[in-house]
Amino acid sequence: MKKFSLYLKTLILALGFFIVMPACTDLEEEVFDAVTADNFFQTEEELISALGAAYTSLYGYMGNTNMFGAQEVSGDAVTVPTRGPDWGDGGHWVRLHTGNWNAEDPTINSTWNFLFGGVNACNRLIFQFEELQNPLTDPFIGELKALRAIYYMWLLDIYGNVPLSTDFAETTPPPTSSRQEVFNFVESELLTALNDVTDAVDQSTYGRVNKNVVHMALARLYLNAEVYTGTARWSDAAAQANEIINSGAYSLATDYFASFNADNSGSSEMIWAIPYDEVFAQGFNVHMMSLSYLHQETYQLAAQPWNGFCAMEDFFNSYEEDDLRRGQPGTEEGPSAVRGSFLWGAQWDISGNKRLVDDGTLASGVDPDGPPFTLRPFINELQPEAWRESGARIVKFEIEVGAQPNLNTDFPIFRYADVLLIRAEALWRQDNGSQEALDLVNQIRERAGVDAFTELTEENLLAERGREMFAETTRRSDLIRFGKFQDEWWERPAQPEFKELFPIPRQQLDANANLTQNPGY
Amino acid sequence: MMKLNLDTTLKWLLVLVAVGTWNFAVAQTTISGTVTDAENGDPLIGANILVVGTSSGAITDLDGNYSITVPDGATQIEFSYTGYTSQIVDVPAGGGQLNVQLEQGTQLDEVVVTGYGTAKAKEVTGSITSVKAEDFNQGNVNDVNQLLQGKVAGLVISRPGADPNGGFNVRLRGLSSVGANNSPLVVIDGVLGGDLNSVEPQDIASIDILQDGSAAAIYGTRGAAGVIVVTTKRGKAGTSQVDYTGQVTFETPARILDVLTAEEYRNWPVQGTDLGGNIDWYDELMQTGFSNIHNLSLSGGNAQTSYRISGNYRDVEGIARETGFSRLNFRGNLTTRALNDRLTIQTNLAASTSDQNLGFTEAFRYATVFNPTTPFIRDENNPDFTQFGGYYQQQLFDYFNPVAMIEQNTRENERKTVAFNIRGDYALTDNLTAGLFYSTQRANTIFGEYISKFSFSQGGINRNGLAQRRNDESQDQLFRFELNYNNEFSNGVNFGFLAGYEYQDFTFQGFGAQGGNFLTDAFTFNNLGSAQDFANGLGNVFSYKNTNVLVSFFGRATLNVNDTYFMTASLRRDGSSRFGADNKWGLFPAVSAGVDLVNAVGISGFDQLKFRAGYGVTGNNVNQSLLSLQRFGPQGNFFFNGAFTPSFGPISNPNPNLKWETKTDFNVGFDFALWDYKLTGSIEYYNSTTEDGIFNFNVPVPPNLFPTTFFNVGEINNSGVELTLSYLVDLPNDNSWTVAFTGSRWFDPTLVSLTDDATGVSLGGVRDIGNLGSPGQNGTPLGRLEEGAPLGQLWGLVINPDNPVAEDGTWNFVDVDGNGVQDDLLDRAVIGTGFPKYNLGLNNTFALGNFDVNIFFRGVLGHDLVNTFRAFYEAPGQISAYNVLASSRDIANLVDQPQFSSRHVESGDFVSLEQMTIGYTFNQSALPNAFRKIRVFFTGQNLWMITGYQGVSPEPRLADGGNSLLPGIARRNEYFTATGFTFGVNLGF
Repeated sequence: MKKFSLYLKTLILALGFFIVMPACTDLEEEVFDAVTADNFFQTEEELISALGAAYTSLYGYMGNTNMFGAQEVSGDAVTVPTRGPDWGDGGHWVRLHTGNWNAEDPTINSTWNFLFGGVNACNRLIFQFEELQNPLTDPFIGELKALRAIYYMWLLDIYGNVPLSTDFAETTPPPTSSRQEVFNFVESELLTALNDVTDAVDQSTYGRVNKNVVHMALARLYLNAEVYTGTARWSDAAAQANEIINSGAYSLATDYFASFNADNSGSSEMIWAIPYDEVFAQGFNVHMMSLSYLHQETYQLAAQPWNGFCAMEDFFNSYEEDDLRRGQPGTEEGPSAVRGSFLWGAQWDISGNKRLVDDGTLASGVDPDGPPFTLRPFINELQPEAWRESGARIVKFEIEVGAQPNLNTDFPIFRYADVLLIRAEALWRQDNGSQEALDLVNQIRERAGVDAFTELTEENLLAERGREMFAETTRRSDLIRFGKFQDEWWERPAQPEFKELFPIPRQQLDANANLTQNPGY
Repeated sequence: MMKLNLDTTLKWLLVLVAVGTWNFAVAQTTISGTVTDAENGDPLIGANILVVGTSSGAITDLDGNYSITVPDGATQIEFSYTGYTSQIVDVPAGGGQLNVQLEQGTQLDEVVVTGYGTAKAKEVTGSITSVKAEDFNQGNVNDVNQLLQGKVAGLVISRPGADPNGGFNVRLRGLSSVGANNSPLVVIDGVLGGDLNSVEPQDIASIDILQDGSAAAIYGTRGAAGVIVVTTKRGKAGTSQVDYTGQVTFETPARILDVLTAEEYRNWPVQGTDLGGNIDWYDELMQTGFSNIHNLSLSGGNAQTSYRISGNYRDVEGIARETGFSRLNFRGNLTTRALNDRLTIQTNLAASTSDQNLGFTEAFRYATVFNPTTPFIRDENNPDFTQFGGYYQQQLFDYFNPVAMIEQNTRENERKTVAFNIRGDYALTDNLTAGLFYSTQRANTIFGEYISKFSFSQGGINRNGLAQRRNDESQDQLFRFELNYNNEFSNGVNFGFLAGYEYQDFTFQGFGAQGGNFLTDAFTFNNLGSAQDFANGLGNVFSYKNTNVLVSFFGRATLNVNDTYFMTASLRRDGSSRFGADNKWGLFPAVSAGVDLVNAVGISGFDQLKFRAGYGVTGNNVNQSLLSLQRFGPQGNFFFNGAFTPSFGPISNPNPNLKWETKTDFNVGFDFALWDYKLTGSIEYYNSTTEDGIFNFNVPVPPNLFPTTFFNVGEINNSGVELTLSYLVDLPNDNSWTVAFTGSRWFDPTLVSLTDDATGVSLGGVRDIGNLGSPGQNGTPLGRLEEGAPLGQLWGLVINPDNPVAEDGTWNFVDVDGNGVQDDLLDRAVIGTGFPKYNLGLNNTFALGNFDVNIFFRGVLGHDLVNTFRAFYEAPGQISAYNVLASSRDIANLVDQPQFSSRHVESGDFVSLEQMTIGYTFNQSALPNAFRKIRVFFTGQNLWMITGYQGVSPEPRLADGGNSLLPGIARRNEYFTATGFTFGVNLGF
């Protein structure tokens, strides 16, 4: 009997055990605070918000280690001096300005990730929307293909030889395509997109790709075609610019700064903008990168700025003194009364009555004028002891009183003044006596309050582009196109030709064995 | 334990508790007698007496007397007492007197916890170290980890400063994981994944460390980093006992950095900006921390039921002002037997609540650099500083008045934990027991931070006051079923097996909000709704929840042949919801064996000589939920038709193959005892390899949606030796001195590989890791990973040691590659190693009459540290605005900016007098009536240290932030070290 009772007890226990158990071997993972592809793309709102991923990728554009840093700091208009212990950052900013960048530099990799993040968002959404075949999302497909082509246009410009990836379902890491192949792809995609995207220019297309955006992308592509492929396409560039001019949808604003004020979404020049917002669309913080710590008192900023990016002295001096785009310095009488692209001279607090004072402790080493805080366009050296007061600061994009670390100002990726300059250059390249070209450039100069040119030369055309497009991320491409990128300037030595492309980032080569490093690196 | 000579005047206080014979047998005999210590004849109090084969039992009284009823037919009585060898004695015919003398047990009879069970020390075949309460570290111990520091060979426990709220980094036998968890699994009273902070150190009876894979494999996917098994004290049958321990501690800063004084700052070859004052910022920041701890416990029971209840209160102040905590702990447990003692029920209930003042450890960094000639700390009437609340501030980068930082702002935690478990064991037969266990625990932390409108630091002025509140909750429940079989066969073979099923689920959830722009500082973080940020969209609100489930089947068989040959084999099958869909279950086998050579081949001269060898496979679970899934999450806002609409995008890539890291471990060891057990010890060698390391790799986008994916690819190897020795010296007059030594040698953990051919992901040979940081040294790596090379490499420029500064005042770096050009990228080299090589502990215990003395030395050798204070604050040029370290005198002609190099990597070797305790126990005869015991003690902690390290604490830094692959970085926000003096009293009633 004893044995029997043992078996009975064991059986009862075992039964209880196996009743509890099945519920307890379920290892399906529950997701509470994210969504998976299984439970998304259900409602109209979700579909629209899905499309958003292709555009929100753009918000990184103006980051300091992103398109802004890559396209401007490598040029002759903007630099980031090492001011004592500030902005040393392992020599990254000095390398980026002096052409000594390497495949591991953060800007090189984060710009790549930014651009391919955009490509990939487009690929994924194109794939998903094609699967869905929903009337709401079908029109998005053409728009996404155009946007993808624009991301590739930037890749073509910066890295040249990049992998072409268009099929989301393809899981093999794609190999490098030649710059010519990438160019062909971008051109054909953009030309196709002309038929697929809307030509509306209104609130519904603000910040999104419409037909004029595609024309502008083509204009820039053709303008730089000789650099990209060896074959010039000047007349195509001029024609694409003309499409935009003829659309009549845009005009040159009376005030240059209408396109750079915090409320610039209404500017008549805006073809395509990143609709930055201090809350909803954060990422535009050029004021934080550029202003001195003390400027918190000038603008009542919500955070202490970082005292970094500034204008190169020679570039700054290329503006005429009465150029409305430049602005005027602060003086011992008070801050400048007019808006400008630069901040220099005597610095004041927000009331305009109190001179900012740095106690003599701000300058590391030498402070030529002692306690009063006076910014000067002169930059004593690139590193390691640039004075904290050196370099005119970038205030082209409006800094509102009480500004947050992210600006409300929208960033114009494509702007009408650029259309005029592209057409002017494209015409001039074909005929250096083109009157239309001269007139177009003089429209720009007239608005800036400076005397008209009597003729266009390589020098004055590049310089005018520089002044008009300052800090709008075209400088590097412009210098390359005008054959000036290999030149020596300031503390930057002359560069070999291969530096006209950035290296493929080391992290990407590690991650994708099918990639090939650019020549020279 | 309780072997006391009692004065007869106390006898009336004492109650006999020898009850509990629910025995209804008709014919019975009564036996009585005394149980004494065989060596000295002292009565043993509370010894267990059990009539073999029955439930009839008794317990000795304070004179060692007992009386027991023996049912008819019973033939044997078992006498047992903790720490003594049990005896089974035949029942004398006709009853009457039976006096028994018990022999003090050797450590071979000590019980060692093996995970899901216990074993006698002599039967253990894996590498397990057991530390009993009497061997714990003493003094101002507020964290269970402190009890073990230096006590276990191979176990490194490190906390670089004396932050009362700071955690410890714990590593057992090197680095067991590439990208998952490197901290050992904690098991508290059978609950896996316990929180050491929820256990009061004084409630712990023993801690067992399962060191090798063969011992830890029974814990499967959580055993790879080793297992720490905590057993709390339980009540014993016998008189109710009340114990009180109270202590007060004074802590003062032990080591500070040598910065320039105001006078030196003014008279430096390059003069600093003299602001006219004279302030020692370390003095202003730090204080003598005063702490007091009170612990009261009540325990007792009879043969059927025993209990223990304890309550503990502590109030601890750190050496930095505005840091500390107060905590209240409660723990109660109850054990009861029923159904003729076949059923045993055990319950535990533990609860704790603590209020932590976290403070701002960044203040140490700003106290280091703030100008010592600052004219005043605070002047409320100075209009220039009204905007800063009167505190002196200067508009410099990364430069804040440290006193303002800690006085204007608050950062605190309120933490509550509650844990309950119940266990029932039923003896199905004499050999087979079935057990059910259920446990649940919850921890809740409410965090609050407020940065004043007038605070220049932490964004207070910028945000016009900034408040944050968050509530994090974790909970888990565990269910387990076990079958235990044990049988001693007549031929000397003892066989046992264990089979079990375990289910555990975990939930983590929380929410929080952060917002700024307040009208007044009055609310601090208690009225977040009044933050204007929420009206204008700048406020930030979040919530989260994730869960995971672990399901396991496990079994173990043990074999003991004639106390000479021993063998253990175990197998565990673990399934986790965190594993990818294609890899849900893992298998973790282990086998180990031992032979007592004294018994087997009759080696003479040894009391014991046991050889052990073990092999085991353990795992490391993925340390976050959802890593194997493709997920989408909010990604900013998208401008759609004139308005912002939320956008969703990918936040991870899928990896259905994601699984645990697998560690394979081989261990051999000898246990030995010599000279009548006066010298005992063990020596171990281990070699382990962790494969399928979890690493977050860059992946190409496209085709991936997200730029990184978690893969199982890395492989690391660890090996080392450990030595434990204990020697008992008999001194005259029954005094004794015990020397205990623990030492371990970690051979450099090696990164074998970080490449996987199948998936094509690769580290690419080498990878720089770490970032020194702002100001000015962002993007400066500190270490690197190199396939085929040791882990823990510190990596950077090499300074010319004889001539660190060149003629022109620049850094004189070595042209490492010898190409004639100094290049910041190419001329870097391995400049140190972050992992320690030797960990040593030397403990001396003296029993000198009524005095007890404990002197404990600890040393860690062979590791280097990046002294980041020097890497940032040693350049003389900074003196124009910032204070600098006095060591900048050595490089006074430097004009360059601070730049990290081998100059800032220092050896962290140290030996310290970690602890010294002197206690005095009063003679029983001298005690007032109500007392059973009075002991007073004095402990000094961290009294003395030899080290060449110039920073604050030479302790090894085992991880940088959360990165276990980058040890050796001493960061600037670390709390400073303290020396403590504790006075305390133990009272027994």
